[in-house]
Amino acid sequence: MADDIITDGMLDMFIFETEQGLENLQNICLDSKDIGEFDEDNVNEIFRIMHTIKGASAVMMYQNIATLSHKLEDVFYFIRENNPENVPHEELVDDVLEVSDFITNELEKIKEGSESDGDSTGLIEILDVFLKKIQNVTTGENVQPIQERPLQEKPHFYIAPVASEHSKFYNIFITYMKDTDMANIRAYMAINSLKGIAEDILFTPDDIIANPASSDVIHEFGFKIALQTTEGPDKIMELINSSAGIENVEINECTGEEFLAFCAEAETPAVNPDAQAAPAPAAAVNVPAANATAPVNTPASPAEKPAANATPQPAPATAQTETKPKKPAKRPPAKKGEAQSFISVNIKKMDLLMDLIGELVIAEATVLQNPDLKVPGIDLSNFQKSAAQLSKITSELQDAIMAMRMMPLKNTFQKMNRIVYDTSKKLGKDIELEVIGEDTEVDKNIIEHISDPLMHLIRNSVDHGIESNEKRAEAGKTEKGKIVLEAKNEGGQVWISVSDNGQGLNRENIIAKAKSNGLLGNRSEKDLTDKEVFNFITLPGFSTKKQVTEYSGRGVGMDVVVKNIQGVGGMLDIESIQGEGSTMTMKIPLTLAIIDGIIFSVASTNFVAPTNSVAEFIRLTNDKLIVEPDGEEYVMIRDECYPLVRLNKFYHLNGAVDNIEDGIVVVLTHEDKNLAVFADTLVGEQEIVVKPIPSYIKKVNGLSGCTQLGDGSISLIIDAGALVRA
Amino acid sequence: MRILIAEDDFASRKFMLKFLSQFGECDVTVDGMEAVDAFLMALDADTPYDLVCLDIMMPALDGYQALKAIRNIEQERKIPEEEQAKIIMTTALNESTNVNRAFDLGCVGYAGKPIDQAKFETVLKKLELIP
Repeated sequence: MADDIITDGMLDMFIFETEQGLENLQNICLDSKDIGEFDEDNVNEIFRIMHTIKGASAVMMYQNIATLSHKLEDVFYFIRENNPENVPHEELVDDVLEVSDFITNELEKIKEGSESDGDSTGLIEILDVFLKKIQNVTTGENVQPIQERPLQEKPHFYIAPVASEHSKFYNIFITYMKDTDMANIRAYMAINSLKGIAEDILFTPDDIIANPASSDVIHEFGFKIALQTTEGPDKIMELINSSAGIENVEINECTGEEFLAFCAEAETPAVNPDAQAAPAPAAAVNVPAANATAPVNTPASPAEKPAANATPQPAPATAQTETKPKKPAKRPPAKKGEAQSFISVNIKKMDLLMDLIGELVIAEATVLQNPDLKVPGIDLSNFQKSAAQLSKITSELQDAIMAMRMMPLKNTFQKMNRIVYDTSKKLGKDIELEVIGEDTEVDKNIIEHISDPLMHLIRNSVDHGIESNEKRAEAGKTEKGKIVLEAKNEGGQVWISVSDNGQGLNRENIIAKAKSNGLLGNRSEKDLTDKEVFNFITLPGFSTKKQVTEYSGRGVGMDVVVKNIQGVGGMLDIESIQGEGSTMTMKIPLTLAIIDGIIFSVASTNFVAPTNSVAEFIRLTNDKLIVEPDGEEYVMIRDECYPLVRLNKFYHLNGAVDNIEDGIVVVLTHEDKNLAVFADTLVGEQEIVVKPIPSYIKKVNGLSGCTQLGDGSISLIIDAGALVRA
Repeated sequence: MRILIAEDDFASRKFMLKFLSQFGECDVTVDGMEAVDAFLMALDADTPYDLVCLDIMMPALDGYQALKAIRNIEQERKIPEEEQAKIIMTTALNESTNVNRAFDLGCVGYAGKPIDQAKFETVLKKLELIP
């Protein structure tokens, strides 16, 4: 009996496999919705899925599912064999989805442990009508009307064990009169009479028949039974009481978990009897018997070595109210939850958790850097120790929540596959898409924000980037049009790039357009780097495309793309070589909320620069400072020249250090550009929680947000990229 | 219909006997070895069993082995497939690996304990053992 296996693996497996199949089915349907037909692979795949579901549900004896999936399989069998034209695709997709919904619904019922009783005949009729329709449409040439394929069941049937929802779990404790001979036999009789109503039964000691010594054990510790049955306690009592010599019987209803626990326990004899005195749960039915004394807890599990227990519990071997609930709940309770180890959580809750952790980090900083601690001479060694521990935990907490929010880009990238397929087909271009690094994980929040921009970039590449087949031939390009979609992690950022081997951006065209839009200002076009030129295309209303297509060319788009990307703190990088293709790279920070930052102060204002954009700090002497006639300043560091920005001048702060020798130079790096920033003093490094600059402050150049420091003061976060560009 | 039940646990055996008696004449054995013996005897006497119910966890020869042995015997004697005994495993082992193993070995049904009598009957109908 102890070998009873609790998991109902067969059913779990069926549910799991069927769900997978259905999910697949839905994806195929949705994917093909726009194409307007199922291709051969799809048809085969759907056929295969329905075949599997049919087979499995027949084995599991879910007749309604089996017949329905059989019918759908028929439809696809016909499509596969005869390849009929003019299949009303939308109708077919709708039907398939309805079938899928029906089965999903049935699966829910099965999961809850109730019968799958849905009636599928209506759907089957619909499918029948549909099948007839496409058969008629195609009759004509070489179509042999499909022969009815009767539902042939594999001669395999799995009869799932009874798991009536009403079955309850009991643990029963029996003590026998001291003078009762052969208590083990009597115990066995009780078990025997219970077997009639038992769905599952366990008892301890479990070797009552083979081992005469167990009689002593029963006298000593009492006899424990765990029972699963649909009967009520009265019936159980009646059955047990039919045998003589019983002193006291206690029946407690228990939960499935307790039942399970009992099983586990029964297999490993408990070492410490006292330890397992479980609290008596609800409804105890105390019966006849004389002196039902106070409940003394004596676990009776040491069935295996009764003899070894020479000195067990001097307790009055009489009345024991041991209530060992437990005994596995064979199926019902185990059924749910056990199957899947994933839960889905409302994203709002995750966001809330994220916010709270952010607040926690701030609160931590306010505690650890509390001004009250700065009393001279105070001994903080213990405080520091605990503080270190606290910091460790909060940073682990952050990592954990971040990891929870990470999702692979796979789904997003798969969508792109479809877009390339669709657009290229409609534009009559022959384009393949290569996807690299789809397993790269990014924050869920970011995924939501990049999906649209990415789609836009891909469409741009298909539409503008890659030339038409004729043009390619003219240009002497032999290889197929190709778009590479790549994601990779790059130092705290994720880079998602879309590159094509098309015509690239045309510098002259862009400049001409920029001129006509008056974007150049008074700058000469020769001063502009390629990057600056390319960045024009991200301005609103800027399109060099003369012909507007369905997909792009209206000039709305790139500016929206850039806005979206900036919304998640990222940037768009454009590279292009005319005639060879272009690469658009979205560079997005992996995490939005909490970053490591280096704090420095200028006058009375604190600034924070993200640690990964700080290259070095250096003190310079006056002779390293170069001042141009127009007032621009540069510093020489190890023979390299960096532009210098004095934050006090940049933000008009009074009272800051002016002499370069008195302050410190922070070298910020952004992509491959460097910039020296002059500050008064360094304050320290700290994890900072990025908060957006409140909307009532108008956009300030060079700042990406603000944060609260440990002492409660506000610090501004430097946006290295913006400063470099400024 | 002739039915053979192999089951080591008395209560289960009694239950199976009671349940299946309504469908035909039942013989009962207590382990796999005996079941194979009984199966052979029946073949020799030319009164083969139509249905064999095998427990899996049994002494001497377990259900899998008995199942295999019976299928081997049938093959040796060149009994055509449609005349072979229908074998249903009756067991508390419900993991899919066990189930599939049994199906691979050639049983037609697999009933988890406690046995769902209604479904069991349905299966018998499908196997055309009972009308």
